[in-house]
Amino acid sequence: MSFVSIEQAGYGVPSGGTILDRIDWTIGEGEFHALVGRSGCGKTTLLKLVAGLLAPSTGTVRIQGEPVRGPGAQVGFVFQAPTLLEWRTVLDNLLLPVSLTRRPQPADRRKAEELLDLVGLSGLEGRYPSQLSGGQQSRVALARALVTEPPLLLLDEPFAALDAITREELQNDLLKLCARHRTTVLFVTHDIAEAVYLADRVAVMEGGQLRHALPVPLARPRGRDVRYSPRFNALCLELRHAMDGAGSGVALERAS
Amino acid sequence: MVRAASALLLVLLLAGWEVYCRVAGVSALVVPLPSAVLRTLWDGLAGGYLLPHLWVTTAEMAMGLAAGCTVGFLAGVLLAEVPVLRRLFYPYILASQVVPKLALGPLFIVWFGFGMTSTVVITALICFFPLLENTMTGLQQVDPNKRELFRMLRATRLQTLLRLKIPSGLPVILAGLRVAVVLALVGAVVGEFIGGRQGLGASIIAAQGMMDSTMMFALFIVITVLGMIVYQAAAGLERWLLRRPWKG
Repeated sequence: MSFVSIEQAGYGVPSGGTILDRIDWTIGEGEFHALVGRSGCGKTTLLKLVAGLLAPSTGTVRIQGEPVRGPGAQVGFVFQAPTLLEWRTVLDNLLLPVSLTRRPQPADRRKAEELLDLVGLSGLEGRYPSQLSGGQQSRVALARALVTEPPLLLLDEPFAALDAITREELQNDLLKLCARHRTTVLFVTHDIAEAVYLADRVAVMEGGQLRHALPVPLARPRGRDVRYSPRFNALCLELRHAMDGAGSGVALERAS
Repeated sequence: MVRAASALLLVLLLAGWEVYCRVAGVSALVVPLPSAVLRTLWDGLAGGYLLPHLWVTTAEMAMGLAAGCTVGFLAGVLLAEVPVLRRLFYPYILASQVVPKLALGPLFIVWFGFGMTSTVVITALICFFPLLENTMTGLQQVDPNKRELFRMLRATRLQTLLRLKIPSGLPVILAGLRVAVVLALVGAVVGEFIGGRQGLGASIIAAQGMMDSTMMFALFIVITVLGMIVYQAAAGLERWLLRRPWKG
């Protein structure tokens, strides 16, 4: 049973440009999919269609069989920037998704503190975002998206601005958090190794179309040894070739 | 150290002024002696002559500031939130601000009579614009990512206004308040020039009528000190409201 199904979804702008062209893709429940491509290939737009932040101009996006008509409670979203409210404490920021619908209860508070603990920020709940490092801010943003335990998590290059070591830590945190409730994930990135390390399946986008799909048959849980194994490197290379192939595909189309 | 030097500079300037006026025999009508000004000021404060005037001007300023800022803030919120209203009203509001409010003073005297009301109205009109302008700017400058976050969390329009736009625009709004406070004092004093019976501005006109330059200088000092106090109060309020680290 597919959790998310994207059926012939297209997105164009009024000036006539096509950003997404008839995308078909399905994500099974509990699966972790990554979407890779160069900047401007439409991957963020596709993510926003799934989130309900944008409406497709053709086709539909379904979550659990229901067409998406707008942002829904079952979806958590992590933006490129941490997007924290600077005038609120870490705990208030974490509880924002709750406090916008009802008054947070002690149980919500406990859940938020548990999440902070899981991402290694326990004791920092009273700090303000400007008092945190970039990695810590990204952790808060990640925890905030998961505080309502949404069954589907969408991430838009959330770790792109972090240094390599911090990024690896956050990737591990993300895998750990998503494994807890078997969260279904769609992760947008331009980092090949990140996509292979995190995902069960990687989709390659180019010029508004899905060009290639690559399954990643690496065992879970994945750790540092996976990251430096020959198998991992072979998969990265394969994905790289797929992306190059996608590029030449466009070149061929233009030539013909 | 710099503070001490700053105070010393004042003392030196006053001493130079005093000595020059005495030596050159400058008429007290043109430039009074600093010592005479301070004596007049002291007599006015201790004798109670200045206090009712000080009170009237402070009250006019406070009422004008409160009314102008409240209306300016609410109008700013409304125009920022409803683009149609913004396009409809903004040209008129702008035009109303280009008209020098003090030039409307004589008309206000016809409408509201001599006394406090017309001065309060002038002060309110002067304070209205900085608050309107800064509230509109502040509310529209919200980070688009944060707007999208609130959309994603299905926040209502009111929630987005109260919990995102106003807090994130607060530094800009408070900067407008600081400008309004200074303008409020100018508005109150100059408003009294035109239509006041009482107050520091009316007293300046009265002193001018009696060619009492010493009293005029004493009033300048009172007005300056009053302005510095309210400015510091506004800056203090701003620091207190923004005591949390605001910028990321």
